[in-house]
Amino acid sequence: MTRGHIVIDDVVKVYDPQGAAVMAVDHCSLEIEPGEICMIVGPSGCGKTTLLNAVAGFHEITSGRIIMDGEVLCSPEKPRSTPGPDRIVVFQNGALFPWKTNLDNVIFGPVMQGKLARKEALDKGRAMLADAGLSGVEHNYPGEVSSGMRRRVEIVRALMNDPKALLLDEPYRALDSLTKSVMHEALLEIYYKNKVTIFFITHDLEEAIFLGHRVAIMTTRPCKPKKILNVDIPHPRDYSALTSKRFRELIEETNDAVHEEAWKAFQAGEKEGR
Amino acid sequence: MKKMLSNPALWRGVVSIAVFLILWEIGARSKQWMAPEFFAPFRELLGAIDLKKDYLPWIGAVPAPSVVLASWIAVLVDRSYWQSWYMSLFRVMAGFLAAMLIGIPFGLMLAVSRVTHGIGFPVFEVLRPIPPLAWVPASIIFWPTQETAIAFITFLGAFYTIVINVLGGARSIDVRYFQAARSMGSSRWDIFRRVILPGTLPSIVVGSAVGMGITWEVVVAAEMISGGGSQIGGTRGGGLGFFIWNSYVGGSYEQIVIGMISIGIAGFISSGLLRWGGRYVTPWLKAR
Amino acid sequence: MDAALGLGAADEAIAVLRETTPFGDASEALLARIAGIARRARYAAGARIYSADGAADDIFVVLSGRAEHVFKPEVGAREALRRVTRGGVFGWAGLLLGQTQRLATVIAIEPTEVLRIDTEALVGLLESEPLEGGHVMERFATMIQREFTLPALLAQVRRLSGPLTEEMSSLSLTLYRLSLWLRSPRPYLMLVGFALFLGFWYLAVEVWKLPRFREMPGLTTVVSEWLSPSPTYGLSLYIAEYYQHIAMSVWRVAQAFFLATVLGVPVGLLLGWSRTFKEYVFPVFETLRPIPILAWVPLAIVMFIATESAVVYLAFLASFFATALNTMLGVESIDESYVRAANCLGADRWQVFRHVIIPGALPFIFTGLQISIGVSWFSLVAAEMVSGQYGLGYVIWTSYVMVRYPTIVIGMVTLGIVGYVTSALVRIAGDYLMEWRVRELALAER
Repeated sequence: MTRGHIVIDDVVKVYDPQGAAVMAVDHCSLEIEPGEICMIVGPSGCGKTTLLNAVAGFHEITSGRIIMDGEVLCSPEKPRSTPGPDRIVVFQNGALFPWKTNLDNVIFGPVMQGKLARKEALDKGRAMLADAGLSGVEHNYPGEVSSGMRRRVEIVRALMNDPKALLLDEPYRALDSLTKSVMHEALLEIYYKNKVTIFFITHDLEEAIFLGHRVAIMTTRPCKPKKILNVDIPHPRDYSALTSKRFRELIEETNDAVHEEAWKAFQAGEKEGR
Repeated sequence: MKKMLSNPALWRGVVSIAVFLILWEIGARSKQWMAPEFFAPFRELLGAIDLKKDYLPWIGAVPAPSVVLASWIAVLVDRSYWQSWYMSLFRVMAGFLAAMLIGIPFGLMLAVSRVTHGIGFPVFEVLRPIPPLAWVPASIIFWPTQETAIAFITFLGAFYTIVINVLGGARSIDVRYFQAARSMGSSRWDIFRRVILPGTLPSIVVGSAVGMGITWEVVVAAEMISGGGSQIGGTRGGGLGFFIWNSYVGGSYEQIVIGMISIGIAGFISSGLLRWGGRYVTPWLKAR
Repeated sequence: MDAALGLGAADEAIAVLRETTPFGDASEALLARIAGIARRARYAAGARIYSADGAADDIFVVLSGRAEHVFKPEVGAREALRRVTRGGVFGWAGLLLGQTQRLATVIAIEPTEVLRIDTEALVGLLESEPLEGGHVMERFATMIQREFTLPALLAQVRRLSGPLTEEMSSLSLTLYRLSLWLRSPRPYLMLVGFALFLGFWYLAVEVWKLPRFREMPGLTTVVSEWLSPSPTYGLSLYIAEYYQHIAMSVWRVAQAFFLATVLGVPVGLLLGWSRTFKEYVFPVFETLRPIPILAWVPLAIVMFIATESAVVYLAFLASFFATALNTMLGVESIDESYVRAANCLGADRWQVFRHVIIPGALPFIFTGLQISIGVSWFSLVAAEMVSGQYGLGYVIWTSYVMVRYPTIVIGMVTLGIVGYVTSALVRIAGDYLMEWRVRELALAER
């Protein structure tokens, strides 16, 4: 597996440099191995979403470089990378198009890029939805199904394009804990079938340790990696890992670091970033 | 200040308004520059498609901005011009406030009680599609003075919008506010005063911007239609609508344009006043 | 302990069934039959009523006490935990197509008393009353969607089988829905409202002859005039000229609305989509917009000489501003995430515009169109009153001038009806084009 190797090299992001000069990302360096699930944990407003947006191409960076598979995504010469189907984002509040059925949503990527004719795209879409256990909802609109199902459809939509990496921006934040745990297992199942690089942002430490190969704990704004944890619980994992001894040990190791940053953020009165 | 001057958006806006004024000027003077022989075939073409031959269609009949400006400077010293301002502004604000005084309680009554809603709303909805101006003759017959007739129409215009906004605002109050209030032991009156009333205020404030626009339309129209001869202020005190109509009848077309622009400005002012009042009444909206 | 219901208990059962969502407005007869097949049962605090792997045999209605209902995770409910008290209904899994197992575990938190109704027996009972039965099943479906937060897909409540149901015509369904509506207080309140309004009008003008009301045309005068084959003042439902006026006004509004939509929607889309375009065009737009349309009347007459074009121009102007503004707001309110997602998925700028911006803005565009048609009528009437030669506004004004008062009211009422119909047509067109939104709103309704 050599696709989806992301290098974040000394990236700095300052908002409004001539005016308020708010630094969101402070000389952050991180290397994500191909096919790895890399979890980013940090308090709200710390700048982790900014980092994801920079990789995805929604924001410019002030300095530093981001490289994927040898190709420079952004650098001081080209501060903003172009969004593309090699690294697809799954959004916090979901971004399935409400005016298209689930199936039409799923085939959107290949059809827009001209990679597949509509009929082939429909066949592939149906197959992938069936694979994810979502056959019954093909012809429903996203507004008609539960949010857990919507997330899964969105992931299928991304995977239809055979991306190198999936960028997930707190996708399960709005779900209740019972649905969340089901979603985690569903995500891992999908991952085991399609080994993409996963770059996952969350504020939930348990979610991070359960899912990830590595967990990067970020400082409060401006963010940079404070501590990187190797999660040596073997894959494939299921929910029994949550109560395993090793899991509890890992939480003990990292809880202090996370809590410290959370407390700092609380004192700084961070409001929810967008 | 420097930042404002270097803002490209501002310059683009200025440029476009300037271009607009220049095109207007050229078009309005088309009678002059289309006169020479050079344009004869073009003029014939206009005649052939049944338009006036002497100037560019439509825009050619409008007075040029330069002429309007010159006329306006002359009018600024005329007392009756400012009286018209005062009359129209007064009618608009008075009509709008009256609509609020009656419309808000009426809307709240409909929102709070299902019985009153069942009785009152169908009648309201049936009357609503009738444009307020269609009521003018009935209003003139009914009310004793011209002024009260105009006031009634103004009131009607804003009344519909305000009631609809109150209803919409009441319906969208998050049900959890009610639950919270009830769990803290509030009486029905308390809930009304402290949950429903403040809850509907934002939509009233937002909706009043639209209502204000309608009020202006109605006032201007009513002033034009009813001849504007109000007991207050004498023959020239009929408000800006009357000012425009009178200018048309008297043949001074530049003054028509002056009147139109004046109303636009007056509209800005009244909306601004309303927004300022709204901010005072709903301070919590600022924080969003 | 199970026990069949005695006579007094049957009344209690009917009472609690009335408090439930599915059976809430069923007839006495049906409820009595359901009470007849129900059994009572009692559970101590902490007792498990049933668990998620059991067979879905009985439907439960809570008489008293409290129970906790927890869905198994596979079910995918938005909220897995739900507490049920008196009037709550659970254990309905057997009503779903192909479902024989329980979907949840239910435990009594307090001492709880329930009615147990055998699912198959209930279905048989409902099938014997096709119209009412169908209605009860619909209400079960609504309850499952809303109160138990399960998505529509799972709520495949069984359609009642049986020859009668298949032959049920949509006419009888409509009649049944009508009968339901008639049983609610709404139509009677509406009648009261109209009676009060019309009664007051009649009494004030024709009977009591109140001071200001004396001069007004009375209700009976107007109605008899409207319906008379040879009306005193020249206009009634029987006169061709009446329809000519209506047609004239409608034709003008149609022209104005069409032009305004064809110009306003693209301008609005561009204003919302391209910042450069907005910076150039919006200032001029916003300077002209506050000028009341009716202030344009004299200038329009000067510009257009032919009053016909002037009138259409005025209606067009009002419509145009409303449409363009609402379209712009619609585009601006589209969540950025949708555009970003489309970019990620490889769509180019034009594809984003076609597949994200336009459908996303459509709801706002249609709201704008409904406002626009209302505004169009508003301006048209005023313009016709001032300078028209046909049309409803003209009718109203000339009737006043020629002292034909009842015709004024006829004109007003006609305006109201025609205005309402045109607005409803726009709304229906919107509902047809935006099926996804209709469904979304239906699910979200309180």
